[in-house]
Amino acid sequence: MTDNVQAFLGRYAGKRSPMFWLVIKTSLLTLLTVGIYRFWGKTRIRKYIWSSTSADGAAFEYTGTGTEKFLGFLMAVVVLAVYLGIVQMILFYFGLTIFSEPTTQAEMIAQIGAIYITLFAVMPLIFFAQYRARRYKLARTRWRGVRFGMEKGAGGYVWRAIVYYLLTAVTLGVLTPLATFNLEKYKADRSWYGDARIEQHGKWTALYRAMIHPILGVGIFLIGMAVLGATKLADLSIVLLIVGYIWAMVGVVSYRVQSFKYLTKNKLLAGKITFDTGIDTGTIVTTLILGSLVMGIILAALIFGAGVLVALSAEALIMMLGPVSLQIVLGLLYLMALLFSGALTMAWVTQPIIEHVVGSIAVYDHDDTLAAIHQREADQGADAEGFADALDVGGAF
Amino acid sequence: METPRNQAKARLFDGETAQEHRVILNALHRDQIYVQISGDTLDTPLEWPVKDLRALRDQSDGSRLVLSYRRDTDDEAPRDPARLIVTDPDWLAWLHVTHDDLFTRDLHKGTWRKVITRSAMAVAAVVLMLFVILPRMADTLADILPIERETAFGKSVTAQMERFLGGKTIGALHCSNEKGQAALERMMARLSQGADLQYDINITVFDHEMLNAFAAPGGQIVLMRGLLEQAGSADAVAAVLAHEIGHVESRDATRGALRSAGSAGLLSLVLGDFSGGTAVLLIAEHAFQASYTREAESAADVFAIEMLNKAQVSSDGMAQFFDLIGGEGGLELPEYFSTHPASDGRAVRARRNSDDQDVTRPVLSESDWQDLLTICD
Repeated sequence: MTDNVQAFLGRYAGKRSPMFWLVIKTSLLTLLTVGIYRFWGKTRIRKYIWSSTSADGAAFEYTGTGTEKFLGFLMAVVVLAVYLGIVQMILFYFGLTIFSEPTTQAEMIAQIGAIYITLFAVMPLIFFAQYRARRYKLARTRWRGVRFGMEKGAGGYVWRAIVYYLLTAVTLGVLTPLATFNLEKYKADRSWYGDARIEQHGKWTALYRAMIHPILGVGIFLIGMAVLGATKLADLSIVLLIVGYIWAMVGVVSYRVQSFKYLTKNKLLAGKITFDTGIDTGTIVTTLILGSLVMGIILAALIFGAGVLVALSAEALIMMLGPVSLQIVLGLLYLMALLFSGALTMAWVTQPIIEHVVGSIAVYDHDDTLAAIHQREADQGADAEGFADALDVGGAF
Repeated sequence: METPRNQAKARLFDGETAQEHRVILNALHRDQIYVQISGDTLDTPLEWPVKDLRALRDQSDGSRLVLSYRRDTDDEAPRDPARLIVTDPDWLAWLHVTHDDLFTRDLHKGTWRKVITRSAMAVAAVVLMLFVILPRMADTLADILPIERETAFGKSVTAQMERFLGGKTIGALHCSNEKGQAALERMMARLSQGADLQYDINITVFDHEMLNAFAAPGGQIVLMRGLLEQAGSADAVAAVLAHEIGHVESRDATRGALRSAGSAGLLSLVLGDFSGGTAVLLIAEHAFQASYTREAESAADVFAIEMLNKAQVSSDGMAQFFDLIGGEGGLELPEYFSTHPASDGRAVRARRNSDDQDVTRPVLSESDWQDLLTICD
C-alpha cells in the first residue's frame, strides 16, 4: 500500500418530513390511478434517496424513469401471463392426479397443502427478477457522472440460488453462510463502476462468526423445549422459550448486519479502491424498535381519533346517507391508515436505517485510481424491474 | 433576460471520467445565451445553450442545482451525460427565475407509441389467457382427468368445506337418519330414471342451517339442512338436486378449480400490490369468476328442467325455490357480480315449463318427505 490514500466518507442528508410527504403524495396518486402511478412514485422516492446520499460532497444520481418501469412491467405481464397461467394450471392438474381419498383431517390438510406447492413454479422467476432488479438499479445509478452497471447473468443466478437455498433448507440453515457469500459474490463480481470491476474477496466460512447470535437464540429455544418436555418446570421453560425466540429474531438482524460488514470490507474496486464500514447491529436494532414504536404510537393516535369521530357521527351518517355510507367511510379510513403506515415506516424506520448504513461507509482511493475511471456504455435494461414489480419482489424502495 | 454579471465557481463531472473539474461559469451572448464552462482541467471550454439546460428533479438538497442539457443520447432521458453542480446563489436565482424549462421532462422520440403498443399487447395477452386459453385448457384437462382422481379431489373439497362449516372431524356434520337416507335415495332413484349419468352421485346432507347446496368434483353433492327446511316442498329439493347433478355431469367444479388455479396468479400479477390492492383484487377475481360461472348456472338450470320433465316432476317446485332465494339477502348485486343469474328470470322459466308439462307426480310421498326432513335428527 502506498502513502497516497484519499478517504471518501458516506453521508446521508435526507430528512424525515420531506420523505414522509413525498411518500404520502406518491401513494395518494398511486391510489387515484389504480396503481399505475406506482412506477413514477417509486422513481421519485429513489431520486430523493439517491440525491441525499453523497461521498466527498458529490451526491449520487438516480436516472431511472417511471415510463421505462411502466413499459418493463407491461412486457413482464405478457411473458408472465402466459407462463404463470399455463404452468400453474398444469402443476395443479398433476397435483390432482396424485390425489387419493382422505380419511383423516391431517391427510386432507396435507393434500390441500400439496396443491399450494404449485406456487413454487414462480420461485425461479423470483430469483430471476431479483437479479434483474439489482442490475437495473445499478445501471440507473451514477456517481460523479459515471454509471454503475452489472453484466447479464440472471440465468446463472437462478440455478445457483435454487441450489444454495435448497442446501440451506436441507441443512436446517447450517449452510446459510455458503448461500449468502456465494450469491453475493456472484452478483458483486459482475458489478462495475464505469470501466472498473468490483471484486468480492474473502471466504464463506468467515461468515460463521456472524452466525453466533442466531445459533445461540435457536439453542436457547431448543433447551427451553427440552426443559418443557423433560421436567414440569413450566415457568423456566417459558422464560427460556421467550428469551430464545427474541434472541433468534435479533440474531437474524445481527447476521445480516455482520455479513454485510464482512462482505463490504472484502470488496475491491478497480483492484485498488477499498471499502470499510462501521455499521453497528445495536444501532440498527434500536432504530427498528424505536422507529416502529414511534410509528405505532402515531398511527394508534390517528386511528383512535378517526374512530372517535366516526363513532360520534355514525348515526347522523346513516340517517342522512344510508348504511352504505358508513361502510364507505370505514373503507376510506382503512386506506388512509395503510397509506400513513407506509409513509411513517419510510420516514421513521427505513430512512434512518439507510442513514446509518450510508454514514458508516468509507471508500479509500489509492493513487488517484478513481479519477482515471472511465464512463461505461448505457444499459438499456430491457425490463426495467418489470418482473420484480409484477412478482412483488423487492423491498421498501 | 438579464444574465448574472459575475462569474461563478462550480463543479463539473464531464460524463466521460470520474474526475472532478473545478470550473468557472460565464454567461455568453451570441445567437442565444450560452453558459460557458471553463477550467484548468478541461481541454477546451464547454458551451451549453441556456434554453436547453435541465436540472435533476426530486433532489433533497435545495441549495444547489445539478444541471445537464437536452441532447439526443442513449441515456434514459435525452440528456448529455455531463453534470454541472451549481451552488452560487446569484446563478441559482437567475436560473430559477428566468428559465421555465429547467425542470421539464423530455421524452425520447416514439415513447408514446411504445407505451400504446405495449399496453395493447399486455391487455391482449391477459384477455387471451383469461378468456380463451385458460378456459380451453381447463376444459381439456377436466375431460382427461380420470374419474376416480376427480372423485378423490371432490371428497377432499367436501371434507374441507365441512371443516370450514365447523365440523371437527370428517363426517361430523353428516346427517345419517336411516329413514331420511332412504327417502333421499328414493328421490335420487326417481330423478335418475332413464337418465344416462356418467358419475356415481354421492349425496350428503350437512347438519347446518345455511340455505345452500353445492356440487364438488366427481359426483359429490352436498345439501344443507337449512335448504331442506326452507325449501317448502320435496319437488323444490328435487329441483335443486337436479341442478347440482347438472353441475356434476358437466364437470363444472373441476373446471372451475383448474381455471382459478391458472387465473388467480395472473390477476394478482396484473393488479400488483398497492394500498388497498388486495380489496380490488378480491372484487376483480369475484367478478371474473362470476362472469363465467353464470353460463354454467344457466346450463345446469336447463339440465335440471329436462331431468324433471323426464322424471315427470313438476318444475313448479323449482319456480318456488327461485322465488325463495330471490327474496334472500339484503344487498342487491347487479347481475354481473352475482354467481347465479337473476332469480326472477329463472323462476319465470321454470314456471313457463311447468305450464307445458303433461302429467306430473310429486317426487316423494308426503310421509317420505317428512322422513327426509328428519334426516339430521
